[in-house]
Amino acid sequence: MGTENPGRPSFPARPSATPFAAAPPAVTPFLSSGPVAGPGVSSFRPPPAAPPNTLPSVSSAPPAGSDGSGFRPTPPARFNDPSVSSPRTTHVPPTGGPFQRLPTPPFPSMAQAPPARAPPVGPQPGPYFPGQVSHSPASFRPQPPAVPMGSPPQRASYAPPGVNFPQPSSDSSFSAPRPYSQPSFTPVDSTYPSARATLQPPMPGYATMPPNAVSQMPTTASLFPSHQGSYVPGPPGPPPAASPFPAHQGGFVSSSPLAATPGLHAQYSAPPVGVMQNLAEDFSYLSMGSIPGSIEPGLDLKALPRPLDGDVEPNSLAEIFPLNCHSRYLRLSTSAIPNSSSLVSRWHLPLGAVVCPLAETPEGEEVPIVNFASTGIIRCRRCRTYVNPYVTFTDAGRKWRCNICSLLNDVPGDYFAQLDATGRRIDIDQRPELTQGSVEFVAPTEYMVRPPMPPLYFFLIDVSISAIRSGMIEVVAQTIKSCLDELPGFPRTQIGFITFDSTIHFYNMKSSLTQPQMVVVSDLDDIFVPLPDDLLVNLSESRSVVETFLDCLPTMFQDNVNVESAFGPALKAAFMVMSRLGGKLLIFQNTLPSLGIGRLKLRGDDLRVYGTDKEHALRIPEDPFYKQMAADLTKFQIGVNVYAFSEKYTDIASIGTLAKYTGGQVYYYPSFQATNQGEKLRHELLRDLTRETAWEAVMRIRCGKGIRFTSYHGNFMLRSTDLLALPAVDCDKAYAMQLSLEETLLTTQTVYFQVALLYTASCGERRIRVHTLAAPVVADLSEMYRQADTGAIVSLFSRLAIEKTLSHKLEDARNSVQLRIVKALKEYRNLYAVQHRLGGRMIYPESLKYLPLYGLALCKSTTIRGGYADAYLDERCAAGYTMMALPVKKLLKLLYPSLIRVDEYLLKPSGQADELKNIMKRLPLAAESLDYRGLYICDDGFRFIIWFGRMLSPDIAMNLLGPDFAAELSKVTLSEQDNEMSRKLVKVVKKLRENDPSYYQICYLVRQGEQPREGYLLLSNLVEDQIGGTNGYVDWLTQIHRQVQQNA
Amino acid sequence: MGDLYAWLVSFFVLIALLVLVVYQLMCLADLEFDYINPYDSSSRINKVILPEFIAEGVLCFFYLITGHWFMSLLCVPYLYYNVRLYMRKQHLVDVTEIFNLLNWEKKQRLFKLAYLVFLLFLSIFWMIWCALEDSENDI
Repeated sequence: MGTENPGRPSFPARPSATPFAAAPPAVTPFLSSGPVAGPGVSSFRPPPAAPPNTLPSVSSAPPAGSDGSGFRPTPPARFNDPSVSSPRTTHVPPTGGPFQRLPTPPFPSMAQAPPARAPPVGPQPGPYFPGQVSHSPASFRPQPPAVPMGSPPQRASYAPPGVNFPQPSSDSSFSAPRPYSQPSFTPVDSTYPSARATLQPPMPGYATMPPNAVSQMPTTASLFPSHQGSYVPGPPGPPPAASPFPAHQGGFVSSSPLAATPGLHAQYSAPPVGVMQNLAEDFSYLSMGSIPGSIEPGLDLKALPRPLDGDVEPNSLAEIFPLNCHSRYLRLSTSAIPNSSSLVSRWHLPLGAVVCPLAETPEGEEVPIVNFASTGIIRCRRCRTYVNPYVTFTDAGRKWRCNICSLLNDVPGDYFAQLDATGRRIDIDQRPELTQGSVEFVAPTEYMVRPPMPPLYFFLIDVSISAIRSGMIEVVAQTIKSCLDELPGFPRTQIGFITFDSTIHFYNMKSSLTQPQMVVVSDLDDIFVPLPDDLLVNLSESRSVVETFLDCLPTMFQDNVNVESAFGPALKAAFMVMSRLGGKLLIFQNTLPSLGIGRLKLRGDDLRVYGTDKEHALRIPEDPFYKQMAADLTKFQIGVNVYAFSEKYTDIASIGTLAKYTGGQVYYYPSFQATNQGEKLRHELLRDLTRETAWEAVMRIRCGKGIRFTSYHGNFMLRSTDLLALPAVDCDKAYAMQLSLEETLLTTQTVYFQVALLYTASCGERRIRVHTLAAPVVADLSEMYRQADTGAIVSLFSRLAIEKTLSHKLEDARNSVQLRIVKALKEYRNLYAVQHRLGGRMIYPESLKYLPLYGLALCKSTTIRGGYADAYLDERCAAGYTMMALPVKKLLKLLYPSLIRVDEYLLKPSGQADELKNIMKRLPLAAESLDYRGLYICDDGFRFIIWFGRMLSPDIAMNLLGPDFAAELSKVTLSEQDNEMSRKLVKVVKKLRENDPSYYQICYLVRQGEQPREGYLLLSNLVEDQIGGTNGYVDWLTQIHRQVQQNA
Repeated sequence: MGDLYAWLVSFFVLIALLVLVVYQLMCLADLEFDYINPYDSSSRINKVILPEFIAEGVLCFFYLITGHWFMSLLCVPYLYYNVRLYMRKQHLVDVTEIFNLLNWEKKQRLFKLAYLVFLLFLSIFWMIWCALEDSENDI
């Protein structure tokens, strides 16, 4: 039970190895196995002592061959020998094996389990790639650090075996090893006596073996050269003492970092029980009960993996490649890039990246700005890669080699610098572009097709009766007015307004006027712009006119009773006004477009359509006008943000398209009333207007030869196969992309990715933001799993699922998520099914332990959950558009909101700051977490739900809510009362909001048992529970587990 | 003799159809290799889609009235496919999604192309057959 890694505890055994003090520290892992091996120990000691003797034999080809052949037969040994499975007292030595393997053969006859067990692992670290592919998880740990560091020849050589060996990892290999294990024993036995004597004899003893082994196992023999190849160059930096065992040494060296990173394994401290204790496993598991799928799954609810710490960014890559850009900018779904297409096809999860090019940086970590001025930006001649920390300078600094296409480029004279003895440029400290993964280049005029545009904000405001009644106009006018000073790009900022109901109202705001002039156009069929020059004005020049206008706006239309909306024509008009410059168009939309071009039908949410093939049509734009309009808007560098407020159906699916293809976002405030949601609108509009925005941007992601990005997912429009057009982009937008292999086999050891965002900063400077990331190429599926990044995978999953809802049924989208999780876990299980008795356990990589839960949460998210009754169509579509743009962290929080209990904190006298931190302990999202005497806050990044338990002490409620405490909570808003407790709660809420400023979370108060509000506010967020026919967490896991086991 | 003219007409219609489909394919290929932008590409393609559909319909009808019901039948699947696309309003390429649909659009047009080439060969065959028969009758 639990996710502990049973293999871990066996590591403490390692210290027992210290007797070999003479051995280099790197050898320790191996040594640990010494004591374990029993009789083997005696044969053990000599090796370090007698390296010179062994050296020749190992370095010569035959022994290497024996190594290759020798290790093949051994794995079967443990399957063959019944005694093996039970007394696996230790299985420590991920790397220790090489030495144990020598004594191994004899042992089967002696029923010496431990060594017999160890060998398969042992030999593998040497040629560790093939070893891994075949079965040993034990050798895995050491590997991650070793992969990128491994010397190139070594890597190149084991790629073939990796490819050749898919079979051992599959189920069938379980039986496969058996046949040849038997014959191999005989010859081995014959060498046994000598093997036991010292290590040195075994080596020669082995040397005699290859003929046997080879003759008996042609397959192995054929692989042998490749192993051998990997042996010889194997020692990347051999400590002297280890030299006799070059092949294994790679294993040692790599394993030592493992030992040095206790933090990694801290979670495994709990000693596991039973047989498992002996297995150095790489995976985590859940016992699913003896009968898979039985009603009593025997799952301990508390022990299920839950992302209660939020999103944990994988940092292994950053350790290997410290020059990489930060993971907030670019995250790969797995940091280990597969080297062959066959490997890709076995990785059933999405393979790709999530890019958030302008992610907010904490104080002090700002992206450095580099101005090359006269030199021009240094780029590769052929592939146009920007200079980055991974380029190498050669020829005394006169040339540099592109890391992506490996072309040798000349260094421009102005950029020249001498190289020091280590080949580094002497001026490297002054060159942020050579030391940091993220930089911003100031782009010269070659990067401009026109002068950099000024920041431009254009507002298209619905003034029909429902907009007036809801108070939306007032809030919007006030907010815009309040942040006129903070709009970026002073003094170049431009601003303009159009309002519309059944007619379109233009406003002349020329600076020479004192009052804005209104021009009404009622001809909707042939739209024209009356005063083309004065509708869009410079804010600093026309400041007073704009202010007057915003003051008047709410009162101007207060008696308007118009219920129509000429949205389409108004949009066209706004487009005509803006098309000269581009910019950001903010649409405030309250009524279903009913007049002119782009009018929409009340096609509504039809219950009968759900579950049929026509279902998806509800979620795609009804009128091609919107798509066409969106394409045109993008073409003219106009980004659209849609604010929708209606309580009735307004066809967000159609209108949101405008935001989708222009890189914008959709803000949806169903049944907006200024009294309750005004604050939310105010904050979000304020953020939208004042956050740093990149204008007229294009983004491209380049990657090394052999791989290619094939599909892009998010809110943008593709301008060419790999160029994302982003009229306005900011820190709250992320883009996902999937990659595929163009060549069947990658021969490089490292793949580089480079994201380049060319944009106009608000200050009017053209800039290129470049993020560079390197990732190792691996030949091994388990390595890919270990380096997987759940956050990026879930982000890709959700985008793919949402896209699927646009062409398929909701159910299909959910099923595809489930299917891919099942396939991935099945593949992973197959990796280990061979050498471990997995029984009824569900196994998964540590890195993906939250994946099933996030998958479940995704299936229960507003966009793809249930059917007709589970979410309003508009809400569903709006959530879909929002999720398509969310950065990873926010998405994960939305999928698995944090639930915290606050009543205890409130009752404590005088809360301190550190106490505040204590209460931020997230609880599992299940009904069991809710105590009916407690007060909880559920925070999904978009809203807070404050849940009052039924038996919550009345004075808490009274203190918090004042006199309203007994009233219907839907009508009560949380406001600060004059008492300590209330102040504390407000402080908590404020603190939570500070964590996530992208959206403003308003508090919904709900009392336990207050239906149906409790149902749709809180209970639908409890993703681990069974709600209305959906799976609970346990059922979901059981279901997945059952499917994984089918034909597994 | 009339038959020969009928085959000649159908030959030219088929050539026209081939040209239209090849033109669309060229636009898509240009787009793929980044020679033109999606806006131009899709507007060029969309301009010739209806003419293509109409020409195909006319051809099918023409075969029917000239009594070549077998050829007419051969045209029907193509026509049905076009009509279905048109009814679902999926006949025009979508500029916003054109890159995601690029492969599908290309495949679809390649199939059409192969189909048209097949029809063309048949019609040439019949044309020659007719001509030979006519000349035999002359003797």
